[in-house]
Amino acid sequence: MAYLKFQRSAIHSAVSSSAAHIGVGISGQEGMQAVLASDYSFAQFRYLRRLLLVHGRWSYFRMCNFLWYFFYKNFAFTLVHFWYGFFCGFSAQTVYDQWFITLFNIVYTSLPVLAMGLFDQDVSDQNSLHYPSLYKPGQQNLFFNKRQFFLCTLQGVSTSSLLFFIPYAAFSVMVKEDGSYISDQQVFAVTIATSLVIVVTVQIGLDTHYWTVVNHFFVWGSLIVYFAILFAMQSDGMFGIFTSSFPFVGTARNCLSEKSVWLVILLTSVVCVVPGMAVSFLRVELFPTLTDKVQTSSHRSAYAFSHQQGYGELITSGKNMKMSTASSTGSPGGTPQSSTWIENMLKRKNAVSCVSDEITGAPAKTD
Amino acid sequence: MMASSYTAKEEDGHITVSGPGALRSRKPENTAFKQQRLPAWQPILTAGTVLPAFFIIGLLFIPIGIGLFIDYTGVDASSPCFNCSQSFSWNSSRPFVFDPQSNVYVYYGLSNFYQNHRRYVKSRDDSQLNGDPKSLMVRRNTLELFYNDPNGTKVQILLNTTGIAWWTDKHPINWRRPVFDLDADEGNNGFINEDFIVWMRTAALPTFRKLYRIINKKSGMVPTLPRGNYSLEVVYNYPVRSFEGRKRMILSTISWMGGKNPFLGIAYITVAPCASSWASCCCSSTTSVETETTTLTFPTELLTCP
Repeated sequence: MAYLKFQRSAIHSAVSSSAAHIGVGISGQEGMQAVLASDYSFAQFRYLRRLLLVHGRWSYFRMCNFLWYFFYKNFAFTLVHFWYGFFCGFSAQTVYDQWFITLFNIVYTSLPVLAMGLFDQDVSDQNSLHYPSLYKPGQQNLFFNKRQFFLCTLQGVSTSSLLFFIPYAAFSVMVKEDGSYISDQQVFAVTIATSLVIVVTVQIGLDTHYWTVVNHFFVWGSLIVYFAILFAMQSDGMFGIFTSSFPFVGTARNCLSEKSVWLVILLTSVVCVVPGMAVSFLRVELFPTLTDKVQTSSHRSAYAFSHQQGYGELITSGKNMKMSTASSTGSPGGTPQSSTWIENMLKRKNAVSCVSDEITGAPAKTD
Repeated sequence: MMASSYTAKEEDGHITVSGPGALRSRKPENTAFKQQRLPAWQPILTAGTVLPAFFIIGLLFIPIGIGLFIDYTGVDASSPCFNCSQSFSWNSSRPFVFDPQSNVYVYYGLSNFYQNHRRYVKSRDDSQLNGDPKSLMVRRNTLELFYNDPNGTKVQILLNTTGIAWWTDKHPINWRRPVFDLDADEGNNGFINEDFIVWMRTAALPTFRKLYRIINKKSGMVPTLPRGNYSLEVVYNYPVRSFEGRKRMILSTISWMGGKNPFLGIAYITVAPCASSWASCCCSSTTSVETETTTLTFPTELLTCP
């Protein structure tokens, strides 16, 4: 909710999001007192629009996404021990290797979610400005409330149960390909840990809407680092140097070379990820929110444009020449002028003129 | 004091600071990274991506599941559970109904034995196991397998005592004296006794089976264990009645996947039609949604561009 307070000599404005209240000061002829007291400052009122509708909205969206994913990942990680308690005499024996527990939240899963929190965009900045209604979920606290937290918890609990019980059922009677014993605690730990890392990485992949280079690097890099550290820690070398600290010697080499273990990991990963994907897909198809509609339209617009009426009217009307000169002098924050032929075409097609402006602006800029 | 550095020409948001040296601008750099303009791939879940993915999962999992399930060469012949405490040897006689021509693996199984208890796992000291000798008392049953000829003579089957532990567990260790006589063979005594290594590999679950012996296959087409009656003599060393444990002896062959494991096959076969049927339901429902309308309806406020 944005509100402006007018005072005698300075104008203050405050922007609130569900997670953080920030102070914004606008420097003006009257002085810089607001700038001194604020978190962010700028010089013109029109920048407030971009601050609220683009960055404020993105900030809320990213924060909610981040929180949702973080709770989900930690529920999935921790509650496996709850299920294991029934099978280890409630002795609080950990399922995972101690090193995995230490490194999971620091190394294996921290960077992808950091990249998502920094860069993710659900809709582009132009669309955010064109559709101010997209700001409403922030005002109404729709993206992360008690209901969303409950759903996130539910997904975390069900993921943890699948992560435990599928390997449990498989390992009850499993032996290695050479007949020797494999259902031991260390192999069980490595299998569940690997499945967990794969599941949460796939989940962050599905949750990230805006894949920059940094996102790619962090996501795939975390997965590679997991396997690298796994094999390094369970090698003979580390066991030789720090014998008591690295008891999982040889586990990764023995169990990740077994086809049956990889089949267990594949099954667990698919069964954990697919229901969530199915539910979110159905939600978008059957009950699309404004965000979903804007995303779909911007995704389809390049395709849709080619199936609209061609360039004939544009060229014969001679408007494209005027269009290019007008757009080159346009201000950065402003929108390109809409010519009448476009409006006519769009009214015929019953599409939204604001969206198509962005698309028709591109071919019209050719000189 | 800040107002003194402000100029009327600063119209586009430059807030400058007059520190030591020239005026510095506080405006963030106009790079793609800092202005949130990095080029990006923006995937969205559409019917065109999700439904084929589900169909692929269905198609891929069915042959895997069938392959795992019908892989029946791993035959499991368990002896009935025994937990006698009266006598310390036990005979079991049962007929063998198959002629395996590969290695036969002998497992001992335990139920309700919490080797995964935290105190036990914590008490395990790998540096001692690695070389520091320490006296331990490990009790375990020994068993021998005899073959009852149709003639009635008992022939002892040779049981291979090595090759049952993981190769990474067998370290070249530095022991000064044997811990206890697990084996007459000096190469398989003390901490490198493979039975001991197998036992020390902590089980994950309270019901487990561990490899005890291997019966190597014979050359040619001679079955490893010919059809007939076999008897199993067990010397019962470790009582399990006190914690209601049960013991089993399992004879099994293995296949390319390891032992017989119906769970994985059944699980794959279950997931595949679920995914495929969900995808086909969605296929039919989304095509009906799309035929209704091809336009997007937006709130009226958006139709006027600013």
